[in-house]
Amino acid sequence: MGAAENDEAEAAGTIGVMVPAVTLPFLLLLLGLSGAVLASQRAGPAAAKIPSTPGKAATFNQVSEAADRARTENRDDDAIRLYQQALHLRPAWKEGLWYLSTLLYEKERYPAARDLLRRFVSHEQGAGPAWAMLGLSEFQTREYTRSLDHLLRAMALGMDNRKDLAQSVFYFVAVLRTRFEQFDESMSLLMAMVKSGQPSDLLIEPIGLAALRRPLLPSEVPPNRRDMIHLAGQGALALEAQDREGADRLLSKMVAAYPDEPGVHFLYGAFLLDVRPTEGMAEMQREMEISPSSVPARLRLAEEYLKQSNLDQALPLADQALRLEPHRATAHMIMGEVLVAKDSLEGAIRELETAEQEAPQTVRIRWDLLRAYAAAGRSGDAQREKEEIAKLNRPAAER
Amino acid sequence: MVAVISLLALLFLSNPSSPQPSFEQIAKQADAARVADRMEDAIELYSEGVGLRPSWSEGWWWLASLLYDQDRFSEAQPPLQRFIAIASKPAPAYAFLGLCEYETRDYEHALQHFQEWGRRGSPGTDELLDVAGFHWALLLTRRGQFVEALSMLAAKAQKRGDSPALTEAMGLASLRLRNLPEDYLPEKRESVWLAGKAAFYASVEDDLRADEYAAELLIHHGHEPNVHYFRGSLFSFQKDHDAAVKQYQQELQISPEHTAAMIELALFDVEDHRFTEGLALAQHAVTLDPRNARAHYVLGRGLLALGRAQESARQLEIARQLAPASAMIRFALARSYRTLGRSEDAARELAAFGSLKESASAPWERQKTTKQKQPGPSE
Repeated sequence: MGAAENDEAEAAGTIGVMVPAVTLPFLLLLLGLSGAVLASQRAGPAAAKIPSTPGKAATFNQVSEAADRARTENRDDDAIRLYQQALHLRPAWKEGLWYLSTLLYEKERYPAARDLLRRFVSHEQGAGPAWAMLGLSEFQTREYTRSLDHLLRAMALGMDNRKDLAQSVFYFVAVLRTRFEQFDESMSLLMAMVKSGQPSDLLIEPIGLAALRRPLLPSEVPPNRRDMIHLAGQGALALEAQDREGADRLLSKMVAAYPDEPGVHFLYGAFLLDVRPTEGMAEMQREMEISPSSVPARLRLAEEYLKQSNLDQALPLADQALRLEPHRATAHMIMGEVLVAKDSLEGAIRELETAEQEAPQTVRIRWDLLRAYAAAGRSGDAQREKEEIAKLNRPAAER
Repeated sequence: MVAVISLLALLFLSNPSSPQPSFEQIAKQADAARVADRMEDAIELYSEGVGLRPSWSEGWWWLASLLYDQDRFSEAQPPLQRFIAIASKPAPAYAFLGLCEYETRDYEHALQHFQEWGRRGSPGTDELLDVAGFHWALLLTRRGQFVEALSMLAAKAQKRGDSPALTEAMGLASLRLRNLPEDYLPEKRESVWLAGKAAFYASVEDDLRADEYAAELLIHHGHEPNVHYFRGSLFSFQKDHDAAVKQYQQELQISPEHTAAMIELALFDVEDHRFTEGLALAQHAVTLDPRNARAHYVLGRGLLALGRAQESARQLEIARQLAPASAMIRFALARSYRTLGRSEDAARELAAFGSLKESASAPWERQKTTKQKQPGPSE
């Protein structure tokens, strides 16, 4: 997990938000949001500018005031028409851009809302809520790459303590990360949302998809496997809640119902490795039969063999994982750990340094490197790693 | 009091008399704003600059670039069009214009402008080549030119490796869905992903993983149109002809009028000297899809193999008309002409074959040429 992901999970965990407002009425969300954002913008210098031609100023003022009135009186169609007129007179009018875009979003006119929000953020680059609305609009127009970029930007900028908006943003970031095959990052964020106390019913499917490593949105799950996704999600949630019995029951039910599906044996095996390692290893082997190129199964198996000091079994698995995915940080990490165990310090350090380059925020890699440097007598390098670990263990805001 | 009034009068009067900034000053300020990352100021200043001097091509370019960078695609189009009209070397702007038109859903013009960019040698940075080539391929898929789209995407896969967007694009083309990533049905997502993964790994010659994803595709989506055809194509690519034939046959059971499957089966028949079966299938494909160059090509080859050179040449001439840039059609036509004793025509077609092989300039075109099955000496 990279820095951004750590921060995402941290943000989700500390904000204490409720269930993501996936299907919550955005109407309420937007009405609440509009006032908050604009309260600060009205005082801004740009809003105070008056066109130099008196006649034009009067027209703009009249139209913009009429637009505001229509909006506050919930005459949305009139408000939209009037904001459009006002923006025609003054294209850079930020309040108008904001209100019109939110009204259009409410009316599910997402492409139009998106275009206005793009203009708005070009004036207000630091407006987290606006980037959030832009990302949400782009989600609706299925421009998923841009949507994720802009939602992440909103997360980085913050959303003016708008918890309702924040919970939507976290939810959509998580489901998009899954769709972009960033399963581990998605899972970290989803679990942080669960830990923050959000009711988990809306998170079951996203968690199930991330756990089974299926790059689908919840709306894209094939009907004949929705139950499988649910079982995976519930099982992972039970595990998170330390309910081992519940997790065992749910995950074994999933394996029994869907024995030939990719990902199923890996998920159950990952659970079993902690409680009944021999059975867990058998599940991982089964996963590799179903998914011959599964890198996660190879790495978990290699890790388990390493725990048992069975290095002859661990090494080829780590090697295969690296061949399959040469840029995967965890593959280099496991290979490094195996080589450390074999006292091949030079090779181990090389692998761990590569892992560190790929995932500089992963504390476990730093610890591995610290130990390897220390064992190799490179005390300066070991000290540097120690400092980096201390830095990474601090809350994001203090780094 | 008088002094105060005079001062106020002076201040009041000073505005109208202050000189307007010159074009040179505006241009300088615009560049400075751009360099300092003050994008809104830069946009305003470049707009002012091109207003003062409409022939300022650099100003149009920067104005378009800044708007494009902010995803303001509809606003970026007019400056790009203006730049194209006045610049001495406007070629990269065609790619940007195509990208803007793609984003504003003006797909026909977008495709035209990508093609114009291609005709001008596809100049630009690596990033532009990547992005524009990718969107060009998406539009080819939307138009039903799946093979051309896949050739472009496969070249990209080999150059850049896997990415979710590339997988999705390859999946759409592989399943012959005339859709863009933004507009296909959500229930197709899984099959598009699986097909895309299989196509990606096939293009980087990782058969193990290509087969793994293709097998899963067949398990869950084998009853859907185009899935067996795609599996057959993968088997063909892997030179497993028997397995490919079975898949094409299964496709015809699901989609009896699947001309692409028919054509591939006809080609196998012709290559295996089962001319009667091959000709029947190719003829049927031509009847169903008279504008399919490959159908005419296979029919032409079959007819030539049966010694019906006159009819063969006619079919291959139709194929040439439909796909003038296809080297293999020109080669087959040369053989037909030679059999007919039309040596000058044969020489002309051979020359065309040679130049088509050499002229491909864009990476994906080069890739297409090398990946295409070249006509062997026996043909």
